[in-house]
Amino acid sequence: MLEFIGKGSTTCDGVNRRSFLKVGSLALGGLTLPQLLKARAASKPSKKRSVILIWQAGGPSHIDMYDLKPNAPSEIRGEFKPIATNVPGIQIGEHLPLQSKIMDKLSILRSACHTNAGHGMGSQWMLTGYQPTIEVNDNIFPSLGSVVAKMNGANNPSMPPYVNLPKLLNLGKAAYLGASYNPFAPDNDPNMEGFKVRNLSLPSKINVDRLSRRRDLLNDLDNIRRDIDTKGDLVGLDSFYKDAMEMVTNTKAQDAFDMQRESVVLRDTYGRNDLGQSCLLARRLVEAGVTFVTIQAGGGWDTHGDNFKGLKNNLLPKFDRALTALVEDLHDRGMSDDVLVMAMGEFGRTPKINSGAGRDHWPGAMSVVYSGGGLKMGQVVGSTNANAEYPTTKPATPGCVLSTMYHCLGIDHHFAFHDQAQRPMPILSEGEPIQELIG
Amino acid sequence: MSFFSFLGNATAQDSITILSPVKSIEFKDAFAGWQIIANAGQTDVTRIASYKSTNPKVARVDEKGFVEPVGDGQATIHVTHQGKILDVPVDVSGVSNGRPIDFRTEIVPLLSKLGCNAGGCHGKASGQNGFKLSLFGFDADFDFESIVNEARGRRIFPANPEKSLFIQKASGQMPHGGGKRLIPDSNDYQIVKRWIAAGTPPVAKNVPTVKRIQMIPNDRIYKQGDTQQVAVIAEYTDGSFRDVTRQSEFASNLDVIAVADATGFIKAGKLSGEAAVMGRHMGHVAVTRVLVPHGEALKEIPGFKPTSQIDLLAIAKWKKLGLQPTPVCDDATFIRRLSVDLCGRLPTLEETTAFVKDTDTNKRAKLVDTLLDSADYPAYFAMKWGSILRNSNHAGSDRASYAFHNWIRDMIARNRPYDEFVRGVVAASGEWQDAPAINWYWQSRDDQLHQVSADTSQVFLGVRLQCARCHHHPYERWGQGDYYGLTGFFTRLGKKSFGEPPPYFTSASVTSSEKNPLTGKSPEPKFLDGPEMKFSSEEDPRHALVDWMAKPENPFFSKALVNRMWGHFLGRGLFQEVDDQRETNPPSNPELLDYLAKEFVSHKFDVKHVIRLITTSSVYQLGSEPTEHNKNDHQNFARYYARRMPAEVFLDAVNQVTGNKSGFSGISANGRAIDLPHENFGSYFLDTFDRPKRVTGCECERSTGATLAQVLLLANSDEMEGKINTAQGRLAKLMKQNLPAPEMIDNLYQVAFSRLPTAKEKARSLDHVNKSDNKQQALEDLLWVILNSKEFMFNH
Repeated sequence: MLEFIGKGSTTCDGVNRRSFLKVGSLALGGLTLPQLLKARAASKPSKKRSVILIWQAGGPSHIDMYDLKPNAPSEIRGEFKPIATNVPGIQIGEHLPLQSKIMDKLSILRSACHTNAGHGMGSQWMLTGYQPTIEVNDNIFPSLGSVVAKMNGANNPSMPPYVNLPKLLNLGKAAYLGASYNPFAPDNDPNMEGFKVRNLSLPSKINVDRLSRRRDLLNDLDNIRRDIDTKGDLVGLDSFYKDAMEMVTNTKAQDAFDMQRESVVLRDTYGRNDLGQSCLLARRLVEAGVTFVTIQAGGGWDTHGDNFKGLKNNLLPKFDRALTALVEDLHDRGMSDDVLVMAMGEFGRTPKINSGAGRDHWPGAMSVVYSGGGLKMGQVVGSTNANAEYPTTKPATPGCVLSTMYHCLGIDHHFAFHDQAQRPMPILSEGEPIQELIG
Repeated sequence: MSFFSFLGNATAQDSITILSPVKSIEFKDAFAGWQIIANAGQTDVTRIASYKSTNPKVARVDEKGFVEPVGDGQATIHVTHQGKILDVPVDVSGVSNGRPIDFRTEIVPLLSKLGCNAGGCHGKASGQNGFKLSLFGFDADFDFESIVNEARGRRIFPANPEKSLFIQKASGQMPHGGGKRLIPDSNDYQIVKRWIAAGTPPVAKNVPTVKRIQMIPNDRIYKQGDTQQVAVIAEYTDGSFRDVTRQSEFASNLDVIAVADATGFIKAGKLSGEAAVMGRHMGHVAVTRVLVPHGEALKEIPGFKPTSQIDLLAIAKWKKLGLQPTPVCDDATFIRRLSVDLCGRLPTLEETTAFVKDTDTNKRAKLVDTLLDSADYPAYFAMKWGSILRNSNHAGSDRASYAFHNWIRDMIARNRPYDEFVRGVVAASGEWQDAPAINWYWQSRDDQLHQVSADTSQVFLGVRLQCARCHHHPYERWGQGDYYGLTGFFTRLGKKSFGEPPPYFTSASVTSSEKNPLTGKSPEPKFLDGPEMKFSSEEDPRHALVDWMAKPENPFFSKALVNRMWGHFLGRGLFQEVDDQRETNPPSNPELLDYLAKEFVSHKFDVKHVIRLITTSSVYQLGSEPTEHNKNDHQNFARYYARRMPAEVFLDAVNQVTGNKSGFSGISANGRAIDLPHENFGSYFLDTFDRPKRVTGCECERSTGATLAQVLLLANSDEMEGKINTAQGRLAKLMKQNLPAPEMIDNLYQVAFSRLPTAKEKARSLDHVNKSDNKQQALEDLLWVILNSKEFMFNH
């Protein structure tokens, strides 16, 4: 099969890459199994960490949440006031009161920024680290979760490595890594009564014995040679059959998705809505061995009109409750070092309020929340100018934001895959982990 | 041209030969250099031979055989290998009083070679840390401005060149995000220093520019692990040429086959196959082909009887590569394969039985004709083209998407010439009821004409031109002028302000606000690699564009189509991806590509003819099982490359075997997944198996990889159980007929696999049924196993 070709190469930012693994074009951006195992072994941290990303699709308003400018003119500062937090000197928006009490367990990056104000392109950039050149609603570059799935696999082999909640995210796919690294999604809202994951429990007329008899029969009859295709799909399918059967028959996966196992009190603490319950489910999943969970944090963050009403009456209370509950829950369980929680969207919002009391797209500055994952907490990193338009210190590109996450997972973000055109595509083309966070 | 025509072994003496276009080295300025390529027999010994200059004050030579001028005069380079000596004369002039240093000829190539202007660094659109260069050095004037004048000239310090920010940063003497690129005191360093000391002269006027480059050698057969030094020779507009090996970058398109280092030294890996190593200099590219045979070259191919021109051309290549094909597949395999590839469905039990029984020696060709004339071929290929042409019901196009789908299917069914089909799309005008292909335009809603330009080029010409919208194509000769030249054919495209889609028409004057950034004006039409055009206000430039495509001598159009078809039937294009033809992505069998393209042209763009040629060839009919002699072949079709069925075909196959209907609303009750006119018919099954979203004209949108959700759906869902045990289904009918179990097992195998079970399979299946106290359930289990087996999911 294909083999390693070591190559000493220096990246643009001067970091000397370790000999990276080369991908056979014949496997379309895919590594062969031994290569992959070796890559994983090289990048594995001693601890198995996981990530929960709360994706605020639409673009959350940084200036109303984490980067308030009370001294700016009224058409910029808006209605909300800053409040003190439990970390002296750090203030956040008044409609995040729960988070203000756990600021010591959070770090806020105020100086994230990029240059694309379109939803599709901005989202792709923030969710992959690459700026696409065209506006499409599908991945051109692999999403974070797909990269993690490929590099680290699942923390527990009876679980999928990468899950989207509650449904598949538009830009959460694997692109040139291959569909095998697409996310798994329950395709149902965990806030619903009788929430169930599609096709995870046995069909109504099939019991475990019968399924196992079928498996035996399949093992005996499914004998076509595994080397007749050139893309490794046959072998890939076999491994998914093993995983799938494991998930269906082993109660671990089913239990992980079973929301009924949580107390009513805790479920209420997270908030009885799709975001709250998805956060709770995400915690259950990482506990069971999922490595990367992306939660679509409801909709409505695209507050072109009535920004303030939308935030204070709907978006922020739900988000504040869900994020706080998740962070506290992880701390209560002693998991906070093993799980990195992040919250962000594709961009911030225009500091200048528009005529409809809304704010428009603004990639010039945005705030990103990090919690746990072994990062240094209780701090604000970076700052923006008087109107929250641009970073004044520690500007952080999407690559910086994401490499910090990869760092937590022990993934070398210089590692290169190959796209369909056989271009070597490093996991990130720019950006280094934020020093203040990784310590 | 004269220069390239006498390329060859110019000097020969005993066993050493020099690959060179010239008999002696002639340096006319101080910046020249020459890479000697030394052969002993068929082996490259450039790095093994030793070199000595008879006069180091005139010319010096390094251990890699690279010669450089030192002072005016004559010298001789002794090339020594295994006791044999070959002399290469060197004549040097102009070192002391030759032409002055030139920014474009000497400095810009360094920016490329050192990686300064790469896409990850200063070459990206936003530059890097405030310093921006043109990507890969395609714009020397821009680069000059950037380095010398921008930022108030702070990058250059003429009084002390080595203290210039430009040198300090590049050589890592000051903090530089890109690290140390320029090694102090290296030749490159000296050149930069010299340029600054000379007062940073700009791009000199009248200095000849590069017309083309060539690599020496341009192809070679390697053994695993073999090495080869290559040279890059540039030909200039004044007819002169120079060695630019050390000012070029190198990249292999398949690093597992061969890699190249920065000096143009190629090393073949441990795998057999072919790679193209690209050399790039000043926006020009050339390739050298690396061929690593699978075995000893063959005089003939044992056991393979060619039945067509395709076979003969494949054989020629296999002989060279030492490849032996897998024997031709049996009839049952053939009918299943052809039905899936051509009609997007499994053959029926009756079709298979009759075909296998038929004793006509010509029955395979007859089957191709029968299926080509059936309604399933146009149905399936309408699905394929509907996806490539992004036929969607978005933006109010529900009825238009049906109309466009039907139009495509009808064109294919009537086998209208392909150029007529393309004209119907590219030059579509009017209301959607009359010209349903305007949905192609409407789905882009593309006033900048980006998607229209990019798709026209990629879909119909097989040229991926979209890079060239923003910058020169990194692996091709295409620049922004070419991209906007194509855009120029669409700038008068207008649409009315009513209807969804609204009527489209060609206006008398420009309607698009798009500007060609090179001119700042509306793009003017220019054919790819062809002349600029002017059209009167009555003419529709789009028709001229299709006229140009359909000219027999058009180098792109017919190749793009025949390669797409080849890729469809053989699982991989002659060039791959199927819509990416370029010099640096050469076809694996150029003669075969040319043959098919010529046939397509001479048969007036008859697509059925091309399909017939391909599917009746023995190459298409090879077995899929790898043998000892072709197991590493992924490029030359020495066996049929098995692949999964596309989502729609697979759903239909499941329904066909289980005896279900798809039940889509909005099409006829018998409508199958392949009959769906657009992508927005809700289906968890199709989405899970990655039905294309029709957002790009690239066939690569359809990925084949397996997912957990697919397996859970197939192996563990009420949806599949319902299909298996439905009262109207195949199994229920078999049960009603009360056939003996062996017959039922045969039936299921034949329908799903187009073959009977082997004795072993039959015994195991029977055993399962007999052991069970519920025959119905036991057969359901067997059907489940069949649907979940890889043999079923794959076309092989």
